Amino acid sequence: MFFQEAPADTFNYMVLGFAVILGTMGLHVASLLVRFRNLRRDLEVLEEVQSPGLNQDRPAPR
Amino acid sequence: MPEPGNRIEVRAAPTGPRVPTAPATVARGDRLVAGYLRAIAAIVRKDLAAELRSRELLGAMLVFSLLLILIFNFALELDARTRQTVTAGVLWSTFAFAGTLGLNRSMALEVDRGCLDGLLLAPVDRSALFFGKALGNLIFMLLVAATILPAYSALYNVNLFLPGLMGVVLLGSIGYVVVGTLLSSMAVQARTRDILLPLLLFPVVLPVVIAAVRATSGLLQAVPPEEIRGWINLLIAYDVIFTAVAFMTFDYIVEE
Amino acid sequence: MEPMPRTLKTLNWLTAALFVAALYMVFLYAPREAVMGDVQRVFYFHVSAGWVGAVAFLVTAISGAVFLARRNPKWDRLAVASVEIGMVFAFINIVSGAIWARPVWNTWWTWDPRLVTATIMELIYLAYLMLRQGIEDPDRRARFGSVYGIVAFISVPITFLSIRFFRTIHPVVIGSGDPTAEGTFDMTPRMLQAFLFSLLTFSLIYMTLLWHRVRLARMTEHVEERRMQLTSA
Repeated sequence: MFFQEAPADTFNYMVLGFAVILGTMGLHVASLLVRFRNLRRDLEVLEEVQSPGLNQDRPAPR
Repeated sequence: MPEPGNRIEVRAAPTGPRVPTAPATVARGDRLVAGYLRAIAAIVRKDLAAELRSRELLGAMLVFSLLLILIFNFALELDARTRQTVTAGVLWSTFAFAGTLGLNRSMALEVDRGCLDGLLLAPVDRSALFFGKALGNLIFMLLVAATILPAYSALYNVNLFLPGLMGVVLLGSIGYVVVGTLLSSMAVQARTRDILLPLLLFPVVLPVVIAAVRATSGLLQAVPPEEIRGWINLLIAYDVIFTAVAFMTFDYIVEE
Repeated sequence: MEPMPRTLKTLNWLTAALFVAALYMVFLYAPREAVMGDVQRVFYFHVSAGWVGAVAFLVTAISGAVFLARRNPKWDRLAVASVEIGMVFAFINIVSGAIWARPVWNTWWTWDPRLVTATIMELIYLAYLMLRQGIEDPDRRARFGSVYGIVAFISVPITFLSIRFFRTIHPVVIGSGDPTAEGTFDMTPRMLQAFLFSLLTFSLIYMTLLWHRVRLARMTEHVEERRMQLTSA
């Protein structure tokens, strides 16, 4: 009676594969978050600079 | 505005629901086609005349091609046996690289000398401009091939003068030049113009290279025709598809 | 700056939930493959990522065409957003493919038509971005991007067919090479379910990320405008 061969031990490769997949996706999402945050900060700075206190002769921009 | 009784128009601008009589339509249609072809011929003539005077394009392409073959000679062991399998690849690699030189220069000359603006002002369909440039580029490429094939034949004692092979060179060059002219018209307007064309072109023109190399190789090794026919069909399909695509998109590149 | 629309917030949660479910399906629900072992599980996300890469490219091409017709910049923004996401997932496709190939066929790279085409697609994405980077006028940049997106997209299926035709005639021998290295294994019903579910999940991930990326682009332009206003004051 012949036993069927056990499946190859490729657990490490699986881990590597998923590390790459999830890692890359995570990095991309992180980059989006960082870029959003930077933009929000820029917007804050811009709004502060354009506040009525600094530009008396111009109406506050919409 | 055409006067009553005079139905001849110069431009094919759409003018609403008028229904001219058949002979007048045909006459006008013939005139337009003739004008279109004349425009293409004029551009080709201009390019050829300019090249005849300066010879910078062809010279560069030819020297570059010969140098490439030299490099391949040492890079690959082109002994009698490997030559069989590798000739097609060497030839088409050479065409592909030398081709970018020609495409780049051809467009750069247009833009740098201000010719492009002049051409765009002419009352001719923009696509005529494209076909004119493409045809000019094709002629240059075929001229280079006409030199390389005999040179390679002589250097390596391989008979490259098979009619099928000429056909493959023609079909491959058409596909290459059609896409190359389209992309070079964009690349030349970018800051990184010289390096950009190969980057844009090579991934897109890969089917041409694959098909041309396999067809050439098959012809050289006297492979059964059914296999070669598949590659030829692929080349024809590619040429047709991308000529149509170029025709439809060129306007958007040169509108200003 | 407009707040995140509620649909998008819901989409975020939905996508996250589906992703967790997909992980469950892939690791626990689907059985271990009989010959390859655990590494086969990579296949589910590998193919889904490839699918996203291709869809993203299609979206870019169509978006470009619509831009050329309508000239509304939002279509160009969509095209660029899609390219970015497509690049990420095409990369995942290629690398996960290599990791899967290594233990199974004893080689990092198989000249499999799909893998090669995916790589070419990635290179085209890169060329697309480099083209755009080299052009300063925004309208011209958008136009050229659109044209190249269309032209390049059309070439991809033709390239795939060429390579496949090439392979049927000249099977490539690599390493211990199984020349038909295209992931042949039998899928049990559970595997099929896990696969389809992964496909669905990744499609949603694509849409969610795309929406966010488009918002990012809009916000970037908004900030740029404000900056211009300021410096021209």
